[in-house]
Amino acid sequence: MNMTARRLRSMGWVATLVVCAALVMVLAFRVNALRSQVHRSQARIIALRQETMYLETEFETRANQQQLKSWNDVEFGYVAPAATQYLDNERELVSYAKPVEPGAPAPIRVASTDDQVAAAAVFPAMVSPLTGKPPTDSTDTLAVPTATLTRVHAGNNAVRTDAAVGGGTVAALGLASLNERLGTVHHSAHAVAAHKSAKAKDGKKLAKDTKARTKPTHSGDEALRSVSAGHSARHRDQSALRADLASADRRRRPYPGSAPIRLALKDVKAAK
Amino acid sequence: MNATGPIPNAMSTATATGRLHYANLRARSLSTAKLRLVWVVLGFAFFALTAFVRIGQLGMASQSPDHGAAGDALVPPRAELTDRNGVPLGRAFPSYSLWFNPRALGAKGQPLVKTADEVARALVQIFPAEDYADLLAKLKADKPTYLRRRVLPEDANKVFALGEPALEFPRETQRFYPQGSLAAHVLGYVDADGKGKLGMEEFLNTRLLDPAHRAEPVALSIDSRAQGAMEDELAHEMLVTHALGAAGIVLDVDTGEVIALASLPSFDPNRSDLADNNHVKNRATNEVYELGSTFKPFTVASAIDAGVITDMAVRYPARDLKIDGFTIHDHKDYGATLNVPEALIHSSNIVTAQIADKLGGQKLRDTMIALGMNQRANIELPAKGFPIWPKGNWPRLRTMTVGFGHGLAVTPLHLAQGYAALVNGGIWRPATLFKVDPGHAAEGHRVFQASTSARMRQLLRLIVVKGTGKSAEAGGYRVGGKTGTAEKAGSNGAGYKNKHSVIATFAAAFPMDKPRYVVIAMLDQPQATQSTSGQRTAAWNAAPVVGRVVPRIGPLLGVVPDGKRDVDVSDLTPLVANGEGE
Repeated sequence: MNMTARRLRSMGWVATLVVCAALVMVLAFRVNALRSQVHRSQARIIALRQETMYLETEFETRANQQQLKSWNDVEFGYVAPAATQYLDNERELVSYAKPVEPGAPAPIRVASTDDQVAAAAVFPAMVSPLTGKPPTDSTDTLAVPTATLTRVHAGNNAVRTDAAVGGGTVAALGLASLNERLGTVHHSAHAVAAHKSAKAKDGKKLAKDTKARTKPTHSGDEALRSVSAGHSARHRDQSALRADLASADRRRRPYPGSAPIRLALKDVKAAK
Repeated sequence: MNATGPIPNAMSTATATGRLHYANLRARSLSTAKLRLVWVVLGFAFFALTAFVRIGQLGMASQSPDHGAAGDALVPPRAELTDRNGVPLGRAFPSYSLWFNPRALGAKGQPLVKTADEVARALVQIFPAEDYADLLAKLKADKPTYLRRRVLPEDANKVFALGEPALEFPRETQRFYPQGSLAAHVLGYVDADGKGKLGMEEFLNTRLLDPAHRAEPVALSIDSRAQGAMEDELAHEMLVTHALGAAGIVLDVDTGEVIALASLPSFDPNRSDLADNNHVKNRATNEVYELGSTFKPFTVASAIDAGVITDMAVRYPARDLKIDGFTIHDHKDYGATLNVPEALIHSSNIVTAQIADKLGGQKLRDTMIALGMNQRANIELPAKGFPIWPKGNWPRLRTMTVGFGHGLAVTPLHLAQGYAALVNGGIWRPATLFKVDPGHAAEGHRVFQASTSARMRQLLRLIVVKGTGKSAEAGGYRVGGKTGTAEKAGSNGAGYKNKHSVIATFAAAFPMDKPRYVVIAMLDQPQATQSTSGQRTAAWNAAPVVGRVVPRIGPLLGVVPDGKRDVDVSDLTPLVANGEGE
């Protein structure tokens, strides 16, 4: 019994040994299998890299400088760009933009229900370089014209405006809502402004509209500036131009003002 | 057992009872068990050890794919040459060759299916450049040999279609130049024995074959696009002027890097078997020429530096100058007197000779030595010509002639290095064909003062704006430079007999307000043709090359044209009248 147990035990040891040996062999086989996989992958990598090199070399050869030159001579005719084709900065790029003209299609605008959001995005108000505050009095750079007969110096041109034109201007300013200042839709403005025989009723209505939609402080100043702005392009319709420039100016400088709006509104009434 | 009877012999009780037997058995069993245990333990230890060794071997001794046999397979037998942007210029490439094996159909019988004559005829149709008689002789010789060293795959297919088993296509790693003849003189070639010849292949032969460094490509300073543009424009001008040859250089003024170096006519380094001809001569670094008026700025700069010229408005007599029985004259009469800017604009030999005379031979000689004009050009290429340098102290006449670029013959590379020093603030640097990392430019030495260099930039710009270099003006690139048309001296000191045999050079730099590159264009014996308006002077052939090359290479090299910027020449413009010169 003892012998049997001992034999069994030693057989057990041998079995364990055999199992271990088998495991080692299995491990060795697996390792070898993996190694051959790695070798296969390596061989494939080499083949692919060489293939890449062949293709790259072929590409370089077929597209070498002399070949490109002969293609260019025959097919494309490209020449080196001239100095004028280079731009230094964004400002130079913008200088090529076409100025907005009457009758230009309206730019696409995104509808907004909240004017406050849009107001936050408006260009900062122009401030005096001396005081750092928005200019308010008439001694500021933008000369405030008189109500009915205004002489504005803009460059070398002096532009005369009269009451009727003032009415047109107010009509233009009637559309000068905040949205107007943000967008660049002018055609409606100068459509109204250009129409010299626009009825004063319309003017009044628009003036009312203005009152309803914009703060008088804004509109008044804009009205004045709309008068002061029409200084160039004499061949164009004066009032249309003024309205056009006025709206452009409005976009640039939301400008607080106070007294002149009342004068402008008086003009409208007088026209009526 | 009879336990009561007497014991028959003297046996111990233990023996008699068998206890001893059991004791022995036990001892034996124990030792056997111990032995077995030892074996088992040894067996385990052996397996454990084997496993550990194996694990250790796998874990530590196994090689990673990049450094083992696989990595070696990707290392080329000769390192790659690239341009400064990594574009391969020369690489080891396994290309097909055409091998004739007469034993392919067995040792006995005919080696070819068709007749040798038919096969040779068919091969000439596929490879028109091959010689029929030569091929026929090889096919009849019954000796294994190369019929052609390099065959394109499509041509190999055509040869295969002939159905001749004796024509084989072994794939052999050879040196291949994807850009063809581009920068051939810079690269050189590799001969049939795998040895680099000419150019950087020869200079770098050991480095390129070094097993430790073969995997890393060598970046040259060449920009293949600039090189292509330069070669293209020079070749065009060579054709229209029927010139014998041309050379062109683009040199970085601050680092001495050679961006382009062209010598025409060129050769195809892929056909090393054909490279043994006159075309391998490098006109840019190996041939020396009297470069004529392009030397005048050196004389003027040297005179400004030495305090000989202090006022640009001072006028010098401009009538023919007789000296030692030799008359120095100008291209044409420019009036009684000329000041320095006018002398450069009109390229006056007479005034420059007087300035050189006032400066003195010793000082002019010192300047030329400082510019490296008395030794071989400082560059890696093996082909470097030695200048024709007047020995000893220069007599008065020699000083004067050197002053306007005669009597001293140098390579165009010498000229380029000199111009770089002239415009970069006065520092001369050795030229190099290796890409220089930013901030690692070779240390140079000062030749001219910075103020002199600034003045020369103005004068050179003025020559292009108002003088002989007008046709080199490239809008917005602020090119400045000097033309030079030198009559070629006859062989063996035969003098300047042939007025029609000239070297036309234009040495330029751009942009002149902050020079970045020197551009040299030189034409060897250009003829007066209709396209050059019947002129053979540099203003009509070499200068337009620069005018066309600069806009092509400027933006590629980081120089953006700007029509609103220029070097300020307002203090010089009132001093000059418009005119022409050589």
